[in-house]
Amino acid sequence: MVLITALAAALLPAVTLSPAPEPRSPGGTIRGRVEVRREGGSGEGRPAVAELGHHGPRVVPDRRRSVVYLEAPPPAAFEAPLPGRGVLYQKNEAFVPFVLAVTVGSTVDFPNSDRIYHNVFSLSKAKRFDLGRYPRGQSRSVRFDQPGVVRVFCEIHSHMSAFILVFAHRYFATTDAEGRYRIEGVPPGDYTLAVWNDGAVRARREVRVGASGDAVELDFAVE
Amino acid sequence: MPSRRSVVKGVTVAVAVCLAAAGAGADEPLSLLGGRLRLGGEVSGTIAPEDEGYFNYSDYEVSSLRLFRIDLAAEARLARFASVLLDVRTDNLHEPRVYALYLRLRPWEKREVDLQAGLVPPVFGAFPRRRYAYDNPLPSLPLAYQYLTDLREDAVPARAEELVAQRGRGWLVRYPIGSPEAGPGLPLVSGEKWDTGVELRLGARPWSLALALTQGTLAYPLVRDDNGGKQASGRLAWSPSPAVAVGVSAATGEFLSRQAQAALPDPARAATRRQDALGLDLEWSAGYWILRAEAVWSRWNLPAIDATRIEDPLDALGFYAEARYKLLPGLHLAGRAERLAFSELATVAGRRTWDAPVTRVEAGAGWTPRRHVLLKASWQHNWRDGGRVRESDLVAGQVLLWF
Repeated sequence: MVLITALAAALLPAVTLSPAPEPRSPGGTIRGRVEVRREGGSGEGRPAVAELGHHGPRVVPDRRRSVVYLEAPPPAAFEAPLPGRGVLYQKNEAFVPFVLAVTVGSTVDFPNSDRIYHNVFSLSKAKRFDLGRYPRGQSRSVRFDQPGVVRVFCEIHSHMSAFILVFAHRYFATTDAEGRYRIEGVPPGDYTLAVWNDGAVRARREVRVGASGDAVELDFAVE
Repeated sequence: MPSRRSVVKGVTVAVAVCLAAAGAGADEPLSLLGGRLRLGGEVSGTIAPEDEGYFNYSDYEVSSLRLFRIDLAAEARLARFASVLLDVRTDNLHEPRVYALYLRLRPWEKREVDLQAGLVPPVFGAFPRRRYAYDNPLPSLPLAYQYLTDLREDAVPARAEELVAQRGRGWLVRYPIGSPEAGPGLPLVSGEKWDTGVELRLGARPWSLALALTQGTLAYPLVRDDNGGKQASGRLAWSPSPAVAVGVSAATGEFLSRQAQAALPDPARAATRRQDALGLDLEWSAGYWILRAEAVWSRWNLPAIDATRIEDPLDALGFYAEARYKLLPGLHLAGRAERLAFSELATVAGRRTWDAPVTRVEAGAGWTPRRHVLLKASWQHNWRDGGRVRESDLVAGQVLLWF
């Protein structure tokens, strides 16, 4: 919880400082790989003591996906966050992907791909919502207006959970299946790069982006 | 009054559960041995004023509205197709008891064929499988699964007048044949105990069939058989869409204990005494609504001994309808209306129902401030056509922590 709070604080920009606008520049690139060595959760639910049989096949959430982001991005980054659109599927009794990163103002769709009901909800401070029950082929949407960490659950299936990280800036990237990430357009300067994985910030490193615009390589190993 | 040993045991279990909950990281159940062993649990405290009419008692000493319960569940996966499931409970810090312990097998991975053996979940009806208090929108249990009638499994009345004299007094009943001690009566279906035996489930969407052969009866589940008879039960469910589930259930089994049977005079001793039951359950849900309704009809056969003889079977019909509506994220409203009715039998004073009919309405709300915390509050009104206390208003609160 402390780590999540710290992450939430990091996601909240110091916009009250009212920094002087900086001219936009193509900027540099920070890229690298995050190797996740820690064991993730099992993705299993509570013991199904009252069931009359085994449950069907489930997708095990890919908890190795990480989000890499600048903790203190350049002030101009907050001037015009670009809202986007994301999708968090409900498939084989799992949320896919396990972690989704979006900018403030973005809308996330929650399509149900299963033959059974789900009931997506969140009680996070950054966004409280409850989408109710809806069948396969239908979807509901939520707009995220505040930066922060949003924990998403299914009321019916306790083993279903996901994270939505809502950033007030655009300097973040989600790792791909091989753990690679790439953050582009970073203005020259000194930054702290943070790696979030499976509910907490797992690593932080200082990084300097030069004026030349050369790419900076930075790898992480997350225990 | 619980013994010191029981209190120590209860507190130990409570501490273990709380530690386990804290260690679970709050998002998933505690997982050990590489995920092969999972632990989950619930701690709930329910408080209400003294229920002087015993409307909510499921035992002489235990009211579902004045209850501190610690429940620890475990699932050990032995192989891809085999698991062992265990559930242990302690109520009001009394000695923990095993609520469930059974082996679950799925011989064919892609076929919905499951076999379970041991102290197993009931196949009859729908409510008993809402095991976690989290699945119940109100603090109380439905009358059909909790309310104690004036029938017992270990003692029987000789005359109809002795039976109707106990109307509305099911929490503590005494009869002249069988056990001489006063004891609690039987519910239609016990929602607080599971039975021991084997069960088979076959699924082929949208149908599902579950069959069970167990030691006790719906009203009195057992670990060890007490009369040499078995209960056969089954439920056929149809779910044409995720919004709708319809189930029909049936059960039949010998309910009278060997001790009570042996105390009967001839020729009543030779006959078996059965509980037969039929059930119908419906569920519809969509959006922020869940509507449920369930009816349980039960028939017991008692021996006809002395005048006025109990010639007719004793029938009971329990029905409830329940609704839950989510008002806001984390906040729900709920209500339940129910009725428990009994058949009539002849007495010297004319025809009387063999137990006092009960009607209950309950309305309440639940609030989830955090994912693993649920707070419930409700108001309940009971009417009964008999007994010392005929009406009762109860306000109840429940705190529930789960992992």
